[in-house]
Amino acid sequence: MVEIAPNGKAMSEARQQILDRIRRATTGGAPSSYPELPREYTHRGRLDRNACIALMVERLREYDAKVVECAPGDLIACITDCLRKSGKCTFVAPSGLSAEWMIHGFSWKVDKDLSYAAIEASDGVVTACFAAVADSGTIVLHHSSTEGRRVVSLLPDWHLCILFTSQIVETLPEYFKRCELPPRLATYISGPSATADIEMTRIKGVHGPRFLHVIVVHDETPS
Amino acid sequence: MSQVVLNPRNAPPFPQAALPILRDTQLRKNVAHATDVIQAKRALLVAEKQDWQELRAAAAAIKDETLQHLDKYLIEFQERCTATGGTVHWASSPGDARRIIVKIVQETKAKEVIKIKTMTSAEIDLNPALIAAGIRPFETDLAELILQLGDDEPSHIVAPALHVNRSQVREIFARRMGRHDLTDDPQALTAAARTYLRTKFLGVDTAICGANFLVAETGAVTIVESEGNGRMCLTLPRTLIALAGIEKVIPKFRDLEVMLQLLARSATGERMNPYSSLWTGVTPGDGPQNFHVVLLDNGRSSILAHHTERQTLRCIRCAACQNTCPVYRQTGGHAYGSVYGGPIGAILTPQLMQLEHAQSLPYASSLCGACYEVCPVKINIPEILIDLRAQVTDRERKQMFRIFDPMYLAMRVANVVLASPWRFRWAQRLGRVGLLPFTRKDGWIHSLPSLGSRWTMTRDLRGIPNQSFRQWWRSRPTVKR
Repeated sequence: MVEIAPNGKAMSEARQQILDRIRRATTGGAPSSYPELPREYTHRGRLDRNACIALMVERLREYDAKVVECAPGDLIACITDCLRKSGKCTFVAPSGLSAEWMIHGFSWKVDKDLSYAAIEASDGVVTACFAAVADSGTIVLHHSSTEGRRVVSLLPDWHLCILFTSQIVETLPEYFKRCELPPRLATYISGPSATADIEMTRIKGVHGPRFLHVIVVHDETPS
Repeated sequence: MSQVVLNPRNAPPFPQAALPILRDTQLRKNVAHATDVIQAKRALLVAEKQDWQELRAAAAAIKDETLQHLDKYLIEFQERCTATGGTVHWASSPGDARRIIVKIVQETKAKEVIKIKTMTSAEIDLNPALIAAGIRPFETDLAELILQLGDDEPSHIVAPALHVNRSQVREIFARRMGRHDLTDDPQALTAAARTYLRTKFLGVDTAICGANFLVAETGAVTIVESEGNGRMCLTLPRTLIALAGIEKVIPKFRDLEVMLQLLARSATGERMNPYSSLWTGVTPGDGPQNFHVVLLDNGRSSILAHHTERQTLRCIRCAACQNTCPVYRQTGGHAYGSVYGGPIGAILTPQLMQLEHAQSLPYASSLCGACYEVCPVKINIPEILIDLRAQVTDRERKQMFRIFDPMYLAMRVANVVLASPWRFRWAQRLGRVGLLPFTRKDGWIHSLPSLGSRWTMTRDLRGIPNQSFRQWWRSRPTVKR
């Protein structure tokens, strides 16, 4: 069946016209040279691991994210402390979030297809992440079952993200190298929601979570 | 503000449109402040990036490769997007794109849509078409919301409301949201926008967005933003329509490692913008389940055919050229009569119009080259401006009605006079005598009558000296060896 565009022309007709115009405009050009394209920019970082982690923490703090560092053994205590200090009680958990991170004494809604209203009505969310880029202080979510659907880290006003130091790379190209397969979904978070649309004055907290907390877990054995 | 015309088909020529704006001291102050702030931030972050030039070179090469094989990459994008559950539409003209989008929205029976800032939708005049079809568009980017509520037009491609200051925003919000309690504190104004839009995000089921990059390899679409309104629109509705120029495609996912680094630093002076989103077709259980991409040509394929002008399509819409341009910084964006103002607009708009309109824009530049220097994808804007000027002139001088146009008449006379030394000498003598009555004692001509006043209206003219260089050369005492 031929799909008909609203103007009555077959859809494939517009496609063919555009492709024909492009081909006429590009005939006689060089063959594809994608593998040889110049990529002289910095691929690997120059910092040692400690400096790289310190840079990540510094960048997060520059964005006004609240950062706590801890050893793997202290993680549960650290999460408990963070939740308690938030003064909030209802939290969303992605469907695959480790059960021991869902601290007793707080109310947890596990995201098994929660409605938007239920997520919106929660006070906060706790998620894992896929990676982090120290150079820009970016937290990367690929929205696996521990990182949650996109909506769970979006609607609640308060987001606690657990980041292991082994997930931190220094440069953006190092992150791309870590992706064996390109992700189907990804969200790159570099600080809480912000705008500068009124006289270039930076205002935090427009539509995304206004409060970003990060627990950096030192899980690497010193080399 | 509503007299601003951003349709190149009926906008007044640049010099005419710029005049009233140059008298608007408030607007000029707003534009100067905003562009100063962005430039200062950008300069710091570009300076700290030691591989900036290498990133620029890589980005330009990636874009050139894509453009040379655009057919292949677009087909690959369509295949991957379709395989992952999206639908790809092709639109030759703005009219085609409007019809396709209106039809998709009508099929969902939606009466309202939420929008992420997309300059491409302004390029095709989408909002009026939606309204005519009984669909109410809500802009969700703070700047776009300010413009929509204030019946104003965008003046910058990254910060479209930078010509509006805080007290003007307060006035607009008071009038249109009924929020008379607001002060002009940006924090309070932003909070008002958050409250105003929250119900829309949760209640409106169809969203329209642009695209920063389309990834051919995977069929993914990328949007970069700051506020989170983008993530809302990309995640919550059931239907999502992305409108993208055909030049937005890049070959591989990995190419984003170059583009994202350049875009954030160059556009807003950030190491990375607060939120970037990437999604591929439809993901069951996560986000819109009805996803469409509309690929727009609208003159882009004809730009591709010109060797020099092709670089225009490398543009990643960072607006660094606008912020640095000494012309844009005086006039803001509205004078350009197009959603694309500043240096990039001065080359893009006339080309999208196939030089049928906006012919004055290639002249809206001092050719200082600042735009080329800041461009993250190395578009040689001055070179294209000069080439477009030549094309405009070539067209105009062939037009019959311009036979008696004073400028072309003067050029034809100059052509004859400058062709012979004898005629040139006599013209100099005639000129000296003819201009003598207008030359003041200081050697300058401050005002000329009739046509000459077009020059002296805005600048002085040096009087012709009593002696030409050749006369001086002949009369100088010869040194004997």
